[in-house]
Amino acid sequence: MTETLKMIEADGSAPSFNGALDDKALVYCYRTMLMVRAFDDICMKLQRSGRIGFSIPNKGVEATQVGAASALRSTDFFFPSYRDFGMALHHGAEPVEMMHNMFGNASDSARGRQMPVHFSFTKPLRFFSISSPIGTHLPQAVGAAFASQAQGKDDVSLASFGDGGTSSTGFHSALNMAGVWKAPVIFLCQNNGWAISLPSSGQTASDGYAIKAKAYGMPGVTVDGNDLLAVNRAVSEAAERARAGEGPTLIEAFTYRMGGHSTSDDPTKYVPAEELEKWAKKDPVLRMQRFLAQRGLWDEALEETLQAECAAEVAAAAKEAQATPGPTLETIFSDVYETLPNHLRRQGEQAFDLAARKGDADAGGGAFPL
Amino acid sequence: MIEFKLPDIGEGTAEGEIVKWLVSTGDAVKEHQAIVEVMTDKATVEVPAPADGTITELLVGEGDTVPVGDVIFRLDNGGGAPAQAASPEPAAAPSAPSAPTAPSVPSAPTAVAAQPEPSGGKVLAVPSARRVARELSVDLGTVAGSGRNGVIRRADVEAAATGGAVAQSSHSVVAPSTAQAQRIPFRGVRRKIAEAMVRSSQTAVHFTIVEEVDVTDLVRVRQKAKAIGAEQGIKVTFMPFIMKAVANGLMKFPMLNGHLDEQAEEIVLPGTVNLGIATDTPNGLIVPVISQVESKGLLQLAAELGDLSERTRAGRVRPEELRGSTFSITNAGNIGGTIATPIINFPDIAILGVHRIVKRPGVVDTPEGEVIEVRQYMNFSCSVDHRLADGADAARFVAYLRQILEEPALLSL
Repeated sequence: MTETLKMIEADGSAPSFNGALDDKALVYCYRTMLMVRAFDDICMKLQRSGRIGFSIPNKGVEATQVGAASALRSTDFFFPSYRDFGMALHHGAEPVEMMHNMFGNASDSARGRQMPVHFSFTKPLRFFSISSPIGTHLPQAVGAAFASQAQGKDDVSLASFGDGGTSSTGFHSALNMAGVWKAPVIFLCQNNGWAISLPSSGQTASDGYAIKAKAYGMPGVTVDGNDLLAVNRAVSEAAERARAGEGPTLIEAFTYRMGGHSTSDDPTKYVPAEELEKWAKKDPVLRMQRFLAQRGLWDEALEETLQAECAAEVAAAAKEAQATPGPTLETIFSDVYETLPNHLRRQGEQAFDLAARKGDADAGGGAFPL
Repeated sequence: MIEFKLPDIGEGTAEGEIVKWLVSTGDAVKEHQAIVEVMTDKATVEVPAPADGTITELLVGEGDTVPVGDVIFRLDNGGGAPAQAASPEPAAAPSAPSAPTAPSVPSAPTAVAAQPEPSGGKVLAVPSARRVARELSVDLGTVAGSGRNGVIRRADVEAAATGGAVAQSSHSVVAPSTAQAQRIPFRGVRRKIAEAMVRSSQTAVHFTIVEEVDVTDLVRVRQKAKAIGAEQGIKVTFMPFIMKAVANGLMKFPMLNGHLDEQAEEIVLPGTVNLGIATDTPNGLIVPVISQVESKGLLQLAAELGDLSERTRAGRVRPEELRGSTFSITNAGNIGGTIATPIINFPDIAILGVHRIVKRPGVVDTPEGEVIEVRQYMNFSCSVDHRLADGADAARFVAYLRQILEEPALLSL
């Protein structure tokens, strides 16, 4: 394995930190991490009480998400995996917008047609819709990067994926063509130990994932994914190279998923308790907290304020989203074309007529649609 | 008022088992507070409250399996008409929730569940049903599903394995107008039970004697013992008292305690009481044994019984714990029925069937004369192998049982 970039020591000191993020930005990063946890926490409870269908927890990987986001502009292209919403939060996505998606209601930008957690954000963000299939968004990220290169713009694309994603065909296609074109794209592989229940040891015969970069003619970097400053530096350097026309970078962020794959998963069936304990000691949020404390930017009072703010914001978001009605039947027809073609108009009229006679369809009745 | 329906807590979960209620009726709860632990095919999770309020009703007993969409508790949140916190199933027909204290037993084989149309060899079943089917060697193709859209649930497989049919859930498909016969493979545990029953019934000459016991005092004593047991974490049921009385009775009437060694042409009377306790498990009737009952105290018996029944139901009982009974007790009568003709756990000499406690008016002698009071009664049905003992032996034995159970202080004799 290549040497792992690490900046924050266990005690919170970071001798190699060069001030890439100012004090305000550092505290903001920390707050975003806490917001990710608060959002996760409430979603788990909403799911368990049957109010939303599904959720995907992020505990343990917050430093990778927020560290990467903090190294990029809001207008760069984000092609996230389903465990990346901290990136959007960092660039100004509102918890309430996310919560509308979790409930799939009328205010959800996708009008309930996407799965929960499958967020997308536009204007000013370019946060592409999270998709469930593994690795399909990697070639898309390369396409966006190639387009910005062709247009002479200096936007870069970030493709984020897990260790499992490296086994997809998309991974090969994307890295290969990005290398050939010198596309301004950053491949961020979050090696979080598990592809659902498959341990990383069952995923590749390579010595880690960063080494795969060599075959595609690009640099490969390994970084401590629980170290926000290290991830920020690795992604910043990759972004600089990309903007300078020097092509793509593969970054392997070594981190750990401290919860289940999703609300449908029971990690206690396959995660060794001692392994979880070991990683709990490296909790990325605590690590960042110690770093901030060392710099005099954190105390108990701040912690209490931030925790309370985050909890209140997500609770208010949940309340609002729950009270928002579901999308109306009309949206099935109205959101497809700018002007409604006649054949869809006819279909729509038939559907409204049926709904008027039989009552509005309670699509799926709240059961998970699989 | 919120009617809380069991949500689909995994992806496409069909049913969940209520593991443990974390609150009681009347408790005030906060939104997001954990209410109940539910086990599904995928995980065991804590289900939280959907709002602040007061729990007005817990509708499902611990250990019971309920389909997704059934109301499991009611929460008074200060609102009026019932609101639905989660509605996985549009307009589900109201189902009859089982009483929280009802024992978890397979339903009697009364109705045959509607059979889904054969769909090109593909059978719809939840994962746990598939696993249990493998373990019990049940062909899923022969099992009628009682779940939503005819999906086979675990209880369906277990019922098929023991020859019964599970009660229809509210989500079951509409029964076809023409009845279809159900063919269930006769093998596995069911086959083993059948063989044992045939051997007993064709060898031993059964006769049954029924006795009525006034257990009013025993109920009171047991209530006190229950509190004492609870301090030590021991669940005290009526069974330890009955076991103790049986052991005392068998020491007094030893000809009912033992077995016939046909080869040696000898009746073997071991001089100690090892009681087989017929236990209803998901895998069928199993009879684990508690040994030397005559030398053990009530609390010790209660503790051993609790441990053994739990391990038996969980399938973790050791083979040596299933051997060596000298007499057996069966408790199936607590569900219904007033008398039974229990089949002897061969080669034991006798077996005692225990029935449920009922309240009836009874004539009681008091210093002021005879009065009618509300009393509590329990029936015993004792089957004996007439080859080895006679009616008088059995009558003396049950009369003695009655005597000491009507006056529980005599248990210490």
